[in-house]
Amino acid sequence: MPRSPAPSRLSGLAAAWLLAVPMAAAGLGPAAAQEPEFYDVPYAYEQWIYGRRLDESQLRYCVDRRDPDWEVAGAIADAIAQALLLEPQRHVVETEIVVEDITRVYGVMLEHCDVHMGFKLIPEGYGDWAALTRAYYETGYVFVTTNPDLKSLADLAPGRPIGATGGTSAHIRLMAYLLAQSPDRRWPVYPMGTNDLALDSLLRGTVAVALVWAPSLWARQRADPALAALREIDPRPLPPTRMGVGALILANETFLRAAIDEAIGALAADGTIAGILDGYHFPAKAAP
Amino acid sequence: MSRIQKVSLLAVIAASSVSLLAVQAAMAQDSPIDKVSTVTDDMLLNPPDGDWLMWRRTYDGWGYSPLDQINKGNVGQLQLAWSWAMTPGGRTQETPLVHDGIIYIQNSTHLIQALDGATGDLIWEYQYSLPDGVPPNGERSKAIYGDTLIVATRDAHIIALDTKTGKLVWDQQVADVKKGWGYSSGPIVANGVIIQGMTSCGNAQPGGCFYTGHDAKTGAELWRLYTIARGDTPEGNSWNGIPLESRHGGSAWITGSYDPDQNLVFAGVGQPYPWPAVLNGLLPKSADPNVTNDALYTNSTLAIDPTTGDLKWYHQYLATDTLDLDYVYERLLIDLPVDGQDTRTVVTTGKLGIIEAVDRTSGEWLWAKETVPQNVVASIDPETGVKTINPEVIPEIGKSTFNCPADPGGRAWQATAYSPRTQALYLPTVEFCSNTTVQPLDPGTIYTGGGRATFARVPVPDSDGNIGQVRAVRLTDLSDMWMYRQHAPVTSSTLPTAGGVVFVGTLDRHFLALDDETGAVLWTSPRLTNSLESFPVTYTANGKQYVAVVANWASGLGRLASLTPDVKLPPNNPAALYVFALPD
Repeated sequence: MPRSPAPSRLSGLAAAWLLAVPMAAAGLGPAAAQEPEFYDVPYAYEQWIYGRRLDESQLRYCVDRRDPDWEVAGAIADAIAQALLLEPQRHVVETEIVVEDITRVYGVMLEHCDVHMGFKLIPEGYGDWAALTRAYYETGYVFVTTNPDLKSLADLAPGRPIGATGGTSAHIRLMAYLLAQSPDRRWPVYPMGTNDLALDSLLRGTVAVALVWAPSLWARQRADPALAALREIDPRPLPPTRMGVGALILANETFLRAAIDEAIGALAADGTIAGILDGYHFPAKAAP
Repeated sequence: MSRIQKVSLLAVIAASSVSLLAVQAAMAQDSPIDKVSTVTDDMLLNPPDGDWLMWRRTYDGWGYSPLDQINKGNVGQLQLAWSWAMTPGGRTQETPLVHDGIIYIQNSTHLIQALDGATGDLIWEYQYSLPDGVPPNGERSKAIYGDTLIVATRDAHIIALDTKTGKLVWDQQVADVKKGWGYSSGPIVANGVIIQGMTSCGNAQPGGCFYTGHDAKTGAELWRLYTIARGDTPEGNSWNGIPLESRHGGSAWITGSYDPDQNLVFAGVGQPYPWPAVLNGLLPKSADPNVTNDALYTNSTLAIDPTTGDLKWYHQYLATDTLDLDYVYERLLIDLPVDGQDTRTVVTTGKLGIIEAVDRTSGEWLWAKETVPQNVVASIDPETGVKTINPEVIPEIGKSTFNCPADPGGRAWQATAYSPRTQALYLPTVEFCSNTTVQPLDPGTIYTGGGRATFARVPVPDSDGNIGQVRAVRLTDLSDMWMYRQHAPVTSSTLPTAGGVVFVGTLDRHFLALDDETGAVLWTSPRLTNSLESFPVTYTANGKQYVAVVANWASGLGRLASLTPDVKLPPNNPAALYVFALPD
């Protein structure tokens, strides 16, 4: 018996795939968790028990206490409800689970809310079941250090590690930059599971710089004044990674989305959102 | 509590009361549960023909039944004997276990039930309470040992129930579900030790997953073997120089096999996480000559001493996996001729659909056999099995790449099976490809996009539309015996029997019996209530053979909805156990 039959179907397929690359990208959905569970449409347990709600005088919105901006987002949602002449109905998601797949939001929304605050406007970042409102504020990812000698990322010596919150837009931008550099000019990048873990690795000295979501840094410092020494540095030679943050709604709620977009526009224009952000000293600007 | 919830609760209480009375009345009569015997080590080594005592029925992982009352000549007369509705809405991927005519099932809600295998009558049930926020999904497998049914849970507990009463005997928490840990498969009991693999080791749990050994009497943890290598060793230095706190993945989400002659458990390990190597720290490759980026022990077979947890050897099938192409699935222990020598092998098939054999006494790689169309592996070293990866398929930032198979794999968790009757491996396979894009999937702060890549699944070039297949490969000479093809994916494991039939279930709600020598369809069930994404089993009760399968959409190959939009499934995702038999 031959010990290793040579792969037999590679050559034909190699030619064929060139033809297939432009094929339709149908079914583009949210990526799966580590254990493969692949959805074209998210599924919520006992989703059939949630019928059409009857009280249209309320704006039912969710904020998640695990989100660093949940209080700010709640204040903005209240303002949106007021602008729409609706009664705000806040549901605070309370759980201690650290990280969850985006598809879990589907079940939360079926049960509790029409609008879930606190999602980044990422092109192609959501499945067909979800839609984002316009952004109500803009913020970004920041490079953070405890080293007083570092003024910008450019001051970091090659070979010194960066702890990046893994898989984020800023992480991807950083990796794209590094891959364009020669190996001797690169910083090692250690992917960290969460913003908090990236900050912890910085505090432990595992990394020289952490790349984290600015609201997460704000929330951490707000909760622990001893972390005031954590200092944001200029991202150069990289450009800043700034992103709009809006609310997630179910894709079929087109009328609601249009109404909320209009309300956000009005609240941005009259300075309401900027006032809320300033009130919390929150590291964001009202979206234009 | 809403009005609907209150009404539902009252209904449940009323139904439960009635149910309890009925069960108690039944118990007062002569119940088959009274005859349930203690499952001994000897029994696990040589299970009674009519029992199904562990995930793949026997320690060698074959998934084969020696029963032959139902055979090629009469399988066409198969008819429904009874059915049992299971809790709808979650995913089960269920393997019923059967002992002394009692069938044990786990519902997605972790409602565990014992039924009379002949009649379908409920004997007892136990409701394990999952914490808030943990989605109710089932487990692929469980174990029976002594007088206990041993079940893993989605919140990272292992529990033992009395096989006769369903009462809780012990409950052992192994990890913190708040950090994502949980079980999706159950344990194997080897040499008196419960061996259990941990899964869901993603963002919140640096350092990856692990196997643990537990005392069968108490559940107490005896040892822990990490699936991500650590320390200043060649294996520990295979993570491109990133620290332990940046290493993720290595999920141990499939139950292993056991070789009693060597007292070794053979178990698989999943891929690094997140999937794209450019994001998980494995690329760009470090210039340090003392490190590699193989990411051990991902995509490997581990040979584990069940008594001590010592790692005797490992073999890695796919280093630096960047496409979610696990080599985690079932390990079949088969003695095969290799170069004219009878060789004790461990055979497994990864998502690439490449069947591979390793010498199970040494870990030496022996051979590989391709099945589904794939463009990921450009070549395989004929001596070592080391694979050269087609550079065109490695995901890059800012560019879509095209890879076959797609991320669910040319085969997924649906297990292959081996029949000593035909010396053939029966594989449920699928043919499809993916346009893969590294994607910044950080939509929320808590809510993430999983693996950090999107896979737009498309048919293989020149597809005939038959995405689902069952392949039969004769392992003595690696020849293709036959291939059954159909449009809808085959979504269950294969179940070959001594009767010369191979049972499989499909996405389009059929249960099929194929001729094990030709692949001819011998019997097709009527359409059942849902896709059949589970592990069919066969057993005897009161001397009669039954075949059981759970119908439930379980996110396995049912996820190919984008490729088979014509296959419609019920929206409320019903689950049911169907049991078939010949007419009396």
